[in-house]
Amino acid sequence: MPATIHNDVIVYKGSNFLRQRLLLSTLSGRSVRIEDIRSTHDDPGLREYEVNLIRLLDKITNGTRVELSETGTSLYFQPGILIGGQLTHTCCTQRGIGYYLEVLLALGPFCKEPLNAVLQGVTHHDLDVSVDKLKAAALPVLLKFILVDDGLELKIVRRGAPPLGGGEVVFKCPVRRSLRPLQCSKWGLVKRIRGVVYALRVSPTMANRVVESAKGVMLNFLPDVYLNTDQCRGSNAGKSPGFGISLVAETNEKTFYCAEAKSMEPGKGESTLPEDLGAECAKRLLDEIHRGGSVDSSFQWLVALWMALGHKDVSECVVGPLSEYTIKFLQHLKEFFGVMFKLEVIRDDNEESDDEQGPVVQNVKMTCVGIGYVNISRRIL
Amino acid sequence: MADDSIFDKKKSHHAKQAGRKADKKKKKNQIDQSNLSARQRNPKAFAIQSAVRAERQFRRREDVIAKKQHIPQVDKTPLEPPPIVVAVVGPPRVGKTTLINNLIKSFIKTNVTSTKGPITIVTSKKRRITLIECNNDINSMIDIAKCADLVLLLCDASFGFEMEIFEFLNICQVHGMPKIMGVLTHLDMIKNAKKLKMTKKTLKHRFWTEVYSGAKLFYLSGIIHGEYLRNEIKNLSRFISVMKFRALSWRTSHAYVLADRMEDITSQDSIRKDPKVSRDVILYGYVRGVPLLKDSAVHIAGVGDMKISELSYLPDPCPLPSSEKKRHLMERERQIYAPFSGVGGIVYDKDAVYIELQGSHSHKKEDEETNEKKALLKNVVETKETVDEQMQDSGFKLFSGGAVIYPDMLKDDEYLQHSKENDSSGESDIGTDEESDNDSGIDQSDKHKSKVPWENDSHSECDEEIEFDEKDNHSESDRSNESDEDTNKDEFSTKWKERLSEKATMAYFDRQSTSRNIMKLVYGEFEVGNKIKENQNEDKENESDEEIGGLFKKVTKSQKSNQKEKEQLDVDECSHFYALDKPNTRDWTKEVNKQVIINNFVTGKRSADEDAEELLKLDDASDEEQELYGDFEDLETGEKHVVTEGKEKSEELGLKRKMESTKSEILDKKMKLKAKFDAEYDNPDDHRIKGDHSYYENLKAEALKQSELNKSVFENLEDGLRIELEGFRPGLYVRMLFKQMPSEFVSNFDESYPILIGALNMAEQNIGFVSCKVKKHRWHKKILKTNDPLIISLGWRRFQTLPIYSKIEDDLKNRYLKYTPEHVTCNMHFYGPITPQNTGFLALQTVSNNTNEIRQLGFRIAATGSVNEINKSTQIMKKLKLVGTPLKIYKKTAFIKDMFTSTLEVGKFEGARIKTVSGIRGQIKKALNKPEGAFRATFEDKILMSDIIFCRTWFKVDVTKFYAPVVNLLLPLGTKNAWQGMKTKGQLKREHDIKNEPNTDSLYTDVVRQPKVFKPLIIPKELQKRLPYRFKPKKKSNKISTNNTKEKFENRIAVIKSPYEQNVSKVMKMVRTNYQKKKKDHKEATKERIIKHKKKQDEEEWRKLKRQKELKKKICRHLSKMSSKRKPQM
Repeated sequence: MPATIHNDVIVYKGSNFLRQRLLLSTLSGRSVRIEDIRSTHDDPGLREYEVNLIRLLDKITNGTRVELSETGTSLYFQPGILIGGQLTHTCCTQRGIGYYLEVLLALGPFCKEPLNAVLQGVTHHDLDVSVDKLKAAALPVLLKFILVDDGLELKIVRRGAPPLGGGEVVFKCPVRRSLRPLQCSKWGLVKRIRGVVYALRVSPTMANRVVESAKGVMLNFLPDVYLNTDQCRGSNAGKSPGFGISLVAETNEKTFYCAEAKSMEPGKGESTLPEDLGAECAKRLLDEIHRGGSVDSSFQWLVALWMALGHKDVSECVVGPLSEYTIKFLQHLKEFFGVMFKLEVIRDDNEESDDEQGPVVQNVKMTCVGIGYVNISRRIL
Repeated sequence: MADDSIFDKKKSHHAKQAGRKADKKKKKNQIDQSNLSARQRNPKAFAIQSAVRAERQFRRREDVIAKKQHIPQVDKTPLEPPPIVVAVVGPPRVGKTTLINNLIKSFIKTNVTSTKGPITIVTSKKRRITLIECNNDINSMIDIAKCADLVLLLCDASFGFEMEIFEFLNICQVHGMPKIMGVLTHLDMIKNAKKLKMTKKTLKHRFWTEVYSGAKLFYLSGIIHGEYLRNEIKNLSRFISVMKFRALSWRTSHAYVLADRMEDITSQDSIRKDPKVSRDVILYGYVRGVPLLKDSAVHIAGVGDMKISELSYLPDPCPLPSSEKKRHLMERERQIYAPFSGVGGIVYDKDAVYIELQGSHSHKKEDEETNEKKALLKNVVETKETVDEQMQDSGFKLFSGGAVIYPDMLKDDEYLQHSKENDSSGESDIGTDEESDNDSGIDQSDKHKSKVPWENDSHSECDEEIEFDEKDNHSESDRSNESDEDTNKDEFSTKWKERLSEKATMAYFDRQSTSRNIMKLVYGEFEVGNKIKENQNEDKENESDEEIGGLFKKVTKSQKSNQKEKEQLDVDECSHFYALDKPNTRDWTKEVNKQVIINNFVTGKRSADEDAEELLKLDDASDEEQELYGDFEDLETGEKHVVTEGKEKSEELGLKRKMESTKSEILDKKMKLKAKFDAEYDNPDDHRIKGDHSYYENLKAEALKQSELNKSVFENLEDGLRIELEGFRPGLYVRMLFKQMPSEFVSNFDESYPILIGALNMAEQNIGFVSCKVKKHRWHKKILKTNDPLIISLGWRRFQTLPIYSKIEDDLKNRYLKYTPEHVTCNMHFYGPITPQNTGFLALQTVSNNTNEIRQLGFRIAATGSVNEINKSTQIMKKLKLVGTPLKIYKKTAFIKDMFTSTLEVGKFEGARIKTVSGIRGQIKKALNKPEGAFRATFEDKILMSDIIFCRTWFKVDVTKFYAPVVNLLLPLGTKNAWQGMKTKGQLKREHDIKNEPNTDSLYTDVVRQPKVFKPLIIPKELQKRLPYRFKPKKKSNKISTNNTKEKFENRIAVIKSPYEQNVSKVMKMVRTNYQKKKKDHKEATKERIIKHKKKQDEEEWRKLKRQKELKKKICRHLSKMSSKRKPQM
């Protein structure tokens, strides 16, 4: 649904992509109004986790104005200046910490003071990117834009599975004046596979069974596979039982692909077999590797954002096939910043020979000129 | 004898033929000495003698090199740069207009009558300049300083530098120093040659201190026939055309346009109804700085923030000559473009104004044939549209004098009815035809907008695109329809959730299949360049009306997409690749699938340019080309290697990637590398120790690479798409439509004021609190007061605001200051536009040109500084001292009153530290309830009732939210330089003659001092006893030395006498009285006697004197008689 601009306020309809819109609004400094939020649903208005997100945005900014209609179906958001600094936030357990952490990751380099956020809640959630994945695959992406890692850190203090959560992570991010342009057209070959298997409030053998099956699949392709098990005890295990796995594939060009899988929430009826889980995760990782691109498919949008915010220079990056989320994000980028990406599909020549092998992977070369975004909130003495 | 001689003969030298020395010499002679440098021939002479000295030399050399290095910046100059803005600045009547006229004449050999506004001329094959004159208004000076690349600073040498020049230099320093060239005029006014020389010298040195030493200062020695000397102007123009410029940080991050043409396109009717109606104004100009984004907010200096409602590019009105190889600029390519000045005959085209020059070349008649050929050729070369579009475009004429007919217009009766004047020349070639087409379009455009051929063609193109899209979408919908039928025949809306996963996978495959035009997939139908789509909506409506059999409406594509959008509307947001649901991923463990992916691992086969094996083979190949994979015999083992690889190779062929295509590339690369290595290894230029500059070199290389990439990436793209991607790049001539422009802008339009349109980056259109460091200018006579309105020029803007000065304390607290300190920087907060840090600004107290005011101020620039921080709130603290007095004092506790007025206030300050004047510290404990506002406090010692108690706190001062842009372009014509914003309190008081009663405490009064009375010294009795007699206090009656008898005898005991004694004392008293009486009488009698006696004596004396006088008289008479007797005898 394209936006309409009314009195310099961008007006959207529907609750989908609320996070993108608020994020971009905060960065661009443009006010946004979102209407018809679940207006036809039985449970109209903003969900708890979305309100929680607005709270988080309010915490890291100064001068943000939020107006919510009585029914909660209409939201006006006027962003302030990004402050950052120390903050503790209890995330809503309806969504994972990843939902909030991705926002912080995107905003982090543009704060007034280095961000040091403590987030509490569900660390692994089906809908969201888990903290393991963010740590393994998203931080290296940011590192490409800021080059020097002075204090970029994501520490998983406690893990927490849905529905009750109880996990905690600490995220630290340095501030930058501006981001450098990125030229990234190679992603290399996978050289090692690492992974973490966690078991929270379940038998430790579960973790071992997951490791065995996942490793069984991955060893077909590469001998360098090491998986850690993280058997959490006591308070470190959060409040709900659950287990899961995240696999990371590192290439020789420092690209990280990550796949993850986790057990079903208790009380949902079905139970998950650890062996299935491991194999499933391994398959997903292979799928991710097959898609290629110099960034994990979940973080295409982050790359797009940081490329668009870079210097007024050309940035290039080749990514795997665009996800629906990225496409929407690119549209939003155009609406907020006026940045349009040049997208070209890159085809491998040799793929023509084996047509019957299924769909051809079409990597996309994204090219854009940055808007020369500078961190306006930083203080200079 | 012979033997002797033999023995005598010295043994001749035999050069060694063999041995160590001979070898050495041979070796030496082998090398050809002629080409070697002295250092190589005789390395010992150049060996390091002293390590310390060598180290110093090395260090110095490194220092010199490091000083030369600058942080490499990405070069952003476009291939076809915009004209260079040359501003001519100076005080009035110094010869600015004359200089511009002369420059134009020297560049393009034409005279211009008026020089209003920017004048763009082509000066050389690669350079255009825009000349602009700056009038004597500080607003214009500021705007000019913000956009000028080169400033010609004119100065009347007979007068010397004026304040305006220094002001302008200061403005430049703040907003980024452009190149500045001083020009001295009126040199012929100074007749004395020696004086002239001295003036030149002093002015030059003064100029150097302001700009930089060695800055170019030009001398224009005089005017002949109202013109400067030709060779001097020629020199100046040469300097201008070879001048190099460096990038300024503000301008390399912001796009800007110096408007050189303005059109008001508001309908005449609405103006007639209401002359004050907001206008639609079109401004034209070259984009400068960085690419201008389509929907960026802009600031028009002197008007305010605006939104560009339409932005498009036009053909360059003053183009650089085509890149044919020739040495000089052709006469006809020396163009001039100056719509404000109204130069030459004006020709209106679609959107541009062309000025016909009446130069000599225009009279030259080229024969028609060549003309025709040229036009044809041009037409073919310059086409950018497809044939279809051209068909749409191209009209034809039925009669040589008749109107042109377009394909689209054939139906349009109105158009046919319209008769149009045509060129009488009657040329029938296509080129001129097209031109006339355009003309006709313009003539029409006012009445029938839609019939402009140009717009029509955009319609047609849009249509085509839409068709494409339809096809895509149809195919999509078809597919989904099929799947619908296959799986489920229930209602779509209720069951859609169940098949989400499948749909997601389908959507993914769909996307992949259609991703050939991925841009369209992502951005949909986007506007390309100038072309604007309009009729898409109509199409949709038309489609939705299709009905099948009158009953069922066909689900059209638009409805479908609407449905899809609705579904998407409230879905939970998720950034995974397969949103929400797990698609059926391929089973990668299967052997077939495994083959696909296996090469993505390091253990798999590599591509040809990375595979070590292949590279090695290539290496061999390049080394021994004749033996390319040939047979060879290993001599040592006697084995024979025969080519078997050929077969393997053919087997591998399927797996190897791009082997053939890359082979030559790799070879090239290798050769290059080898050459580089050889160059480095074989021919070291000299053997000196060199510093490691690789870091700097890398930075430089990176910047260079980036700039090359910037230039090359979009080079081959179609112009429209390119503009979508990177914005309107600098050098393009653009047309900007502004809606809702204040009518005063048009009605009070003055060409001599520059119209600077600056683009605002992200978040810069917002307003917040700006914190900056500021220093009052040395030459400004007054200090600045907090909350006095100040006009600030920051970024593109000029605005008035209310600043608060403060000082950053050691704990980073901003302490409020009432006035700016002298000679040091302080902090300043104001409410204004958000601007990036480190942007310079300058402050003025007034922008009006009132001479009295200027004279009073001396130097108009009040302060300069730069932005530190942006925030949405401020934290400025003012020192506050609360004063109280003791109410009652216990030992170390005291009740304090008068410090607060209520218990609530006390509650807020509980635990606060307080202090007496004498320095006794304490703490506020708790409020009392009796006198409101009193409280209990404890101290470290007992305080006195006379003590005053202080509580030192901070009070937050808020910055007033006042921000008013200086709108000098909207002011009436004569008074554009008299913008008056908010007045200071002082100004208002002076105007209304209000004088404040001073605070009585601050008035000076006579000091009345009471004499200090000391208490008597009391020595305790015990001490007195022990004191020696000397120091013992004595009862002294005369201690109180007053003559008051009453006091004297106050403490005495009364004496009561006996009757005898009484009698005695009575008699004695009588005797004494008698005696005293007698004494008194006697004294008087004596006095009388003395007086009498004195009188008598006086008389006696007098008589004696008289006698003597008479005697003297007698004697004298006798003497005179005697002398008179004697005289006759003589």
